[in-house]
Amino acid sequence: MLEQQLLNALTLGSVYALFALGFTLVFGVLAVINLSHGAVFMVGSYAALAMVSHLNAPLWVAMLGAMVVSGTIGLLVDVLVLKPLRARNAPHLIPMIATIGVGIMLTSAAQGLFGAEVLRFPEDVMPAGEFMVGDVHVRALEIAIVAIAFLLMAVLFTILKRTQLGRALRAIAESPKAAYLLGINVEGLFHITSFVAAALGGIAGVLIGLNFNAITPFMGQPMLHKGIAVIILGGMGDIRGALIGGLFLGFAEVISKAYLSSQMGDAVAFGLLFLILLVRPSGLFGRKLERKA
Amino acid sequence: MRFLPKSLVLVGALAAAGLAQAADIKIGVAAALTGGAAQYGVAIRNGFQLAADEINAKGGVNGNKIQLVVEDEQGKKEEGINVFKKLIFQDKVLMVFGPTLSNSMFAAGPVANGAKTVVFGTSVTANGITDIGPYVFRNSVMESDVLPVTVATATKHYKLKQVAVIYGNDDAFTKSGYDVFKKVLEDQKLPVTTTETYVKGDVDFKAQLTKIKASNPDAVICSCLAEEAANIMLQARGLGIKVPFIGGNGFNSPKLFEISKLAGEGTFVGSPWSNTNPAPANKAFVAAYVKKYNAEPNQFAAQAFDALHVAAAALQEVKLSGDIAADREALKNALPKATINGATGPFKFRPAVTKSGKPGGWDADQKPFIYVVKGGKFTAFDGK
Amino acid sequence: MEWFNDFWSTYSTLVFSVGVHALLALSIWLTLSCGLLSLANAAFMGVGAYVSALLTLHLEWSFGSVLLAGGIAPTLVALIIGAPVLRLSGVYLAMATLAFGEVVRITVLNLEITGGPEGLNGIPLATEGWHIALILAVTVYGLARLRRSKVGRAFEAIKEDEVAARLMGINVDRYKLLAFSLGAFIAGVAGALNAHFTFFISPREYGFENAVDILTMAVLGGTSSLIGPMLGSSILTLLPELLRSLQDFRSLVNGAVLVLVVLFLPKGLWESRRIRAFFKRLKGGQA
Repeated sequence: MLEQQLLNALTLGSVYALFALGFTLVFGVLAVINLSHGAVFMVGSYAALAMVSHLNAPLWVAMLGAMVVSGTIGLLVDVLVLKPLRARNAPHLIPMIATIGVGIMLTSAAQGLFGAEVLRFPEDVMPAGEFMVGDVHVRALEIAIVAIAFLLMAVLFTILKRTQLGRALRAIAESPKAAYLLGINVEGLFHITSFVAAALGGIAGVLIGLNFNAITPFMGQPMLHKGIAVIILGGMGDIRGALIGGLFLGFAEVISKAYLSSQMGDAVAFGLLFLILLVRPSGLFGRKLERKA
Repeated sequence: MRFLPKSLVLVGALAAAGLAQAADIKIGVAAALTGGAAQYGVAIRNGFQLAADEINAKGGVNGNKIQLVVEDEQGKKEEGINVFKKLIFQDKVLMVFGPTLSNSMFAAGPVANGAKTVVFGTSVTANGITDIGPYVFRNSVMESDVLPVTVATATKHYKLKQVAVIYGNDDAFTKSGYDVFKKVLEDQKLPVTTTETYVKGDVDFKAQLTKIKASNPDAVICSCLAEEAANIMLQARGLGIKVPFIGGNGFNSPKLFEISKLAGEGTFVGSPWSNTNPAPANKAFVAAYVKKYNAEPNQFAAQAFDALHVAAAALQEVKLSGDIAADREALKNALPKATINGATGPFKFRPAVTKSGKPGGWDADQKPFIYVVKGGKFTAFDGK
Repeated sequence: MEWFNDFWSTYSTLVFSVGVHALLALSIWLTLSCGLLSLANAAFMGVGAYVSALLTLHLEWSFGSVLLAGGIAPTLVALIIGAPVLRLSGVYLAMATLAFGEVVRITVLNLEITGGPEGLNGIPLATEGWHIALILAVTVYGLARLRRSKVGRAFEAIKEDEVAARLMGINVDRYKLLAFSLGAFIAGVAGALNAHFTFFISPREYGFENAVDILTMAVLGGTSSLIGPMLGSSILTLLPELLRSLQDFRSLVNGAVLVLVVLFLPKGLWESRRIRAFFKRLKGGQA
């Protein structure tokens, strides 16, 4: 049973990490807690579903399509909402409130377009295949989720550490003003970041929609709660932290469900978050991040 | 610019045409049309509209057309109260159907009861709803009437010795279903290997299911909503759990098998309605629903559909005076005697047994059917 | 008069909700005025609601004492968690208080006495319009006095620069705890009031969304004065009702209004300086 639970934890943790990636990226670069990320994640799911069922697109095309759709929404949010707020030097809570509004709009638009019912990917596009390793049931999809989460994380990490773009982004994360003075196209990079973060959210939506096979307009909300917990645990704006925090939360939840009581899952997640913050005021793996927008 | 659904406009137009001879009967419908409960609320609204169209097409009730006033209560308690007050005091409807969730009913029900207006729930199954007062009716069958039969039948059929239980513990519907299951299992002396829970919005049940698998039950009892149940079944099969499921009212949606395909084979469900029930009234309902909405109906739609027919049956016996207070009272007195043979089979009311012993409202008195899932469909269980 | 009777019987609950939401927005305004971004107010509201409802249902206390208890219970909780939690700052404080709120919600969900997910029903109607009006008036008056007092100036100093405030000899920790627990008291009373006109309470009403809603009300209205939070809460409560005729498009428009207001008035609807300038211009025009 333990091995199976560890695999369950790894999948769940990767799912959390994948969701938190884009979330933490936006916070790290734009210093905005983007509460529409849950809705963007949901949009990704629906976009892929629409492409698969109406256009008969193969799954990988649908995934790319979902990334483009979600990314475009992220970009639009940045250009239409966040950029004007930056220009007006809005107090730092204001962009967050704006993203709540965006989230409400996306959710109700999805309900209008697709209805409130739970939708699924058709059976035949699901990557089938499951096998046994000892006592453990493994599904190909689970492997794919874990692999994609780690892969995307690695790519993002390499870009941030090794490329010119990454250096520029890190400079912005330290101080947008200084970066601007250094001749970095700050606005342009904000747009790119918003696009990439939302695209990551979108693909997370597709993978989670595939794995748990339930797409609803409201699927982003519980994920958003967990995402917040993850990026706090991992340190806000920290890419590596999103992975570590996601896995940590996944393991904590599964293990507490398995060995304490399943009522405890959420209580453990948030109780732990609460306690960790008391002991380590800037998260488990975070460094002190003191930047005001 | 009007965003009213076409059918509503149509009903309005039909009603206006008939205005010369007879008055409209205004009936309020409060349903959760947006928010998390919308998947039920929309089906409920559809069920009502279908029934209203049907009744009006046949000339209405005693020549009076039924005019539905549909309002969105978002599945929130304050909204439930606001909508009820709007319908009762402003639109001056004869009676109110809804709200969608038991939680909203606990908040809004007292408003209607206080205003001496019939409130008729079609999807509220929680204990204590009809304790609110004598103006409270429901045709949603309570789990405590259904589950003992379901569990006993399944136990006999599969020769069950021990079962595992899983339920949603943050939802009033699934939790109260669990409470009934728990009592039934105690009464029928069926040991429980492990009891697992999840919360609304959870999509990953593997941790709980792995535990259930390790406990080695003969069946899994599941107090869950259809979508959750489908996922639980799929994930259970993915983990190699091969035993059958036993479900409550929440299982009762064609969605369950649309999603879980053959994962749900052998599942036992007890319910007042299923889409495959061959009774003529049900066949007609399913066909009309599919034609109008281009989608399969579910239990919520069926119960809403029947509810309006029950109300119409009662209204046949009421002589409307035009004095709203007197008419509301007359309807309240006529409704308990109403019976129909609808999509959910023969229906009548029975007086609620309240905790306090004071006179309460009226519960559904219906015989549940036991269905077993074969080939991804509900089939009536014939005892073999 | 009949018109008013009809109006009142239809919309009294809505008016009550406006009042209760105004109290909640003021409760978060108080902590914000001390520079604390605390999102625990929904949980405090829940504690107040449950304690008061249980006292009414089981011990049949009078409504006045029930309200008081509904305020005191979350205040005690705030005093206990305040010391460790208030060491955090900025978003970390926000997240810790959100997490605390979730823990409270899950606890209520799993307790027997609170009715678990089914909540408590059959709470008698006790709240009347004048209760809410009176409590709101007293709160506004109290907060207005507080702003101009030594305490208010200390809050202001801490909000502007915590380090400087500390250097000036202000007991920062104590003032923060004061703001936090006073906010909890107001939220608790609001919860108790709400529980006694909605007949029913359940854990779902005091979760994450509600915490964010309360913050939104205050920020949308503007936090530079007491009028802002009240304005914001009124608008956010009334907007969905006003948009009712839009039917399916209601929440879409609701979200869009939120975005647009924030976009064009990023400091909130009621910004004292701008409003004053507006009136000055108006006067100038007339003269």
